[in-house]
Amino acid sequence: MDILTIGLEKTAQLLPLTLELLKGLVVSAEIFFLTLIFALPLGLLVALGRMSGSVILRNIFRAYISIMRGTPLMLQLFVWFFGPYYLFNIKLNELSFCGIEYRFSAVIIGFSLNYAAYFAEIYRGGIESIAKGQYEAAYVLGYTRWQTFIRIILPQVIKRIIPPVTNEVITLVKDTSLAFSLSVLEMFTVAKEISSASSSMLPFVIAGIFYYIFNILVAGGMAVIEKKLNYYR
Amino acid sequence: MQVFQVSHLSKSFKEHQVLCDISMSVNEGEVVAIIGPSGSGKTTLLRCATLLERADGGEICFGDLCVAGVDKNGSFAYADKETLKKAHQRCGLVFQNFNLFPHMSVLDNIIDAPVHVQHIPRAEAYAEAMQLLMKMGLLDHAQAYPCELSGGQQQRIAIARALALHPDILFFDEPTSALDPELTQEILNVIRGLAEEHMTMVIVTHEMDFAAQVADRIVFMADGVIVEEGEAKSLIISPRHARTKAFLAGLNR
Repeated sequence: MDILTIGLEKTAQLLPLTLELLKGLVVSAEIFFLTLIFALPLGLLVALGRMSGSVILRNIFRAYISIMRGTPLMLQLFVWFFGPYYLFNIKLNELSFCGIEYRFSAVIIGFSLNYAAYFAEIYRGGIESIAKGQYEAAYVLGYTRWQTFIRIILPQVIKRIIPPVTNEVITLVKDTSLAFSLSVLEMFTVAKEISSASSSMLPFVIAGIFYYIFNILVAGGMAVIEKKLNYYR
Repeated sequence: MQVFQVSHLSKSFKEHQVLCDISMSVNEGEVVAIIGPSGSGKTTLLRCATLLERADGGEICFGDLCVAGVDKNGSFAYADKETLKKAHQRCGLVFQNFNLFPHMSVLDNIIDAPVHVQHIPRAEAYAEAMQLLMKMGLLDHAQAYPCELSGGQQQRIAIARALALHPDILFFDEPTSALDPELTQEILNVIRGLAEEHMTMVIVTHEMDFAAQVADRIVFMADGVIVEEGEAKSLIISPRHARTKAFLAGLNR
């Protein structure tokens, strides 16, 4: 065999490998977007609970954030996945619905609840950074508390929290690989399988490139949003 | 007709008594200036009047609408939420540092409360805002954002924002203190213009000449009490009380 045919053979292997990884990437992207869809609003509720006037409510949410941030996400995923069976003896296949396997649901639950805690602290920082005068102006003008929050405070908070949220979102892209621990067929799981089967580093290299490109796009998207919100100081 | 009235108002922050038995009233169309050394309680009085601060005792009324006073059980209390909301429709406040909403354009700063609080049709609120902007000489800046404007321009927007809600009485908390000297005059001119239109106003200020010129009446406060009050020019020119004399003499040095 001459060098040319070897080259062609390698290239021919590359295509199915890339396709397999791309299929995994679709699952990674699903985890990513579903987590954001659930965790971003949930984080706001947690932040409001954490800042509540009620001492009991405040401490419940403080404990929630503390536990979510203080234990490994992978451990939390195991708890959500195995908890129903070990604690309540519920068969895992009974928990799948609409054709979605429970192992995937467990990943989404685990990720959303974990990221909500981080987002909550970012929201809280943003909300507490808004000057008291904004609340006072709104109050004197007759806005209700809810109107003040929605019309005056929240829009300013969103602008301020874009940089720390970008950090979290980029971390989330990479963290989707933790779904590997529940054998969800996302990109990292796929890469690991192909790598073991073919004794090759190549799947990891390509997966790494895909994660990197994913994050370049995420960072770019967030930069666009940040720029859009730059119309005021 | 009395538009605003407080009687025997008191307020403490912890041990420190900031307002002590304050009584004053403002008639329709009247301009009252409140002067006095810093820490005398002027701003606290204004904040109690606009309900930003809760008083400990006394009575606060906007015309026939009393927001705080002695209730049926004989103890001091504030009125229910609805009454407080009505009171907010009757008074406006212009802050020392403007407190415009930075994420809204100048126009939105002015029409947002009329549209969302008073439920005035947008077109109507818009037309009114444009008139106010013309009056403030800022028609060209309707689409600008507060950060693009000078302090004096921002304060004029803040005044327009307060006027858009048609308050019976407008309070000013040191409206020129955060401004460069050359910008102070443009705000004072706006307030002077409003006085000529017989807008009822209470102005906390350090601008004595302005107070003497524009106000009908001056209230001099020190250490949480009203030391002296009277017709504006005569209080500035010939104060009766020693505290007032000392304060005014100190300023002229």
